[in-house]
Amino acid sequence: MEITTEQRGTVTVLSIVGSVDGMTASAMVVSFREQVSGGNVLLVVDFTGVDYTSSAGLRALLETVKETRQRGGDLRLAAVQPDVLRVLELSGFTHILKLFPDTESAVASFPA
Amino acid sequence: MSGGAGDSRQRSGPRVAVVLGSGSVKCAAALGLLKVLQREGIGIDMIVGCSGGSLYAALIALGHDAGTAEAMTRRLWTKELTKRRNNRSILSVFLPRVFGFDESFGMVNDALILDRLKEAFGASTFEEARIPLYLTATDFHTGDQVVFGSGRIVDAIRASIAIPYIFRPWPIDGRLLVDGFMSDPMPVGVAIRQGANIIVTMGFESPYQHKINSPLRFAFQLSSITSNNLLKSNFAFHNLAHHAEILPIIPEFKDSIHLFDTDKIPYVIEEGERAAERQVPYLRRLLSGV
Repeated sequence: MEITTEQRGTVTVLSIVGSVDGMTASAMVVSFREQVSGGNVLLVVDFTGVDYTSSAGLRALLETVKETRQRGGDLRLAAVQPDVLRVLELSGFTHILKLFPDTESAVASFPA
Repeated sequence: MSGGAGDSRQRSGPRVAVVLGSGSVKCAAALGLLKVLQREGIGIDMIVGCSGGSLYAALIALGHDAGTAEAMTRRLWTKELTKRRNNRSILSVFLPRVFGFDESFGMVNDALILDRLKEAFGASTFEEARIPLYLTATDFHTGDQVVFGSGRIVDAIRASIAIPYIFRPWPIDGRLLVDGFMSDPMPVGVAIRQGANIIVTMGFESPYQHKINSPLRFAFQLSSITSNNLLKSNFAFHNLAHHAEILPIIPEFKDSIHLFDTDKIPYVIEEGERAAERQVPYLRRLLSGV
């Protein structure tokens, strides 16, 4: 899994490439925690390059969503691919997370 | 991990479970999953089935290959199953005191389904299964999930497919049982309790009615709403509450699949195979711990 980070104003965009699963989710969590502990709680996670997520990925997302919201921020997903979207729908995560078709609209959804 | 999908009861390494949820004919997609697991030499340590998934779980656990299982289910699951009405039961809806409406209500005479199940599974028991098998039903009186792992497979399947309103609840050991989907349409929790580390699961949302033009369709619609929400909430709970790796295999059906579309089974299997193939690289990595 590769994670790149980019700051766009007050919003931090994390782009993930690869599967988010039991072997890789911890790296994603570490990256998320670094951002949150550094005060960056407006997160957009770009899932363009994520082809699959398992239960471990869902746990990682939920943990970070809770953390960011407790601190007045949010984690929003962008460009979720069909296989991943089906998992999010089946687990009801589409009702928990805010999803956007692309990174630009996800970034723009946060107040400037 | 060694061996193909359907051999021993003892393995080393991560314990792999296959969980087949409800979904009537769509559950045949499990045979596509089986094909992929066999082709890849990925072994199954246990298999859990619910409702329509219980048929395929039992067939796979007993060692039938995908071709044989497909042929068996096409003989077993036909429209004739619901042709014979249970007239007394239907009349009891309108005149409950006269005809004695009670908890054994079911609009279809279930003699044929029972005959067909006996033809397919005979006197096979859980203990004879090559892969440890668990089938689920729901206690009619308490709503509890009931898990079968011993005894006659026919009885457990009959209980697991006791579709509300259609087939009467089925008594086993003093408990009256209805369809397994009523307590959990995709019983991942059973595999977790049995110690699975990696859970490959296949389940389906109940279809919504296009047109509500009968009381039965109205009832089915309400049932679908409830069970689909139950599926999502239970699936979310198990994903978040446990540390087992849960891999949902979700076939995409462009054609609509109805309760007795057995002519579409080859298509359903193909889509199951396609969906399973997409997860093979990930499953391989998980098994090798890389």
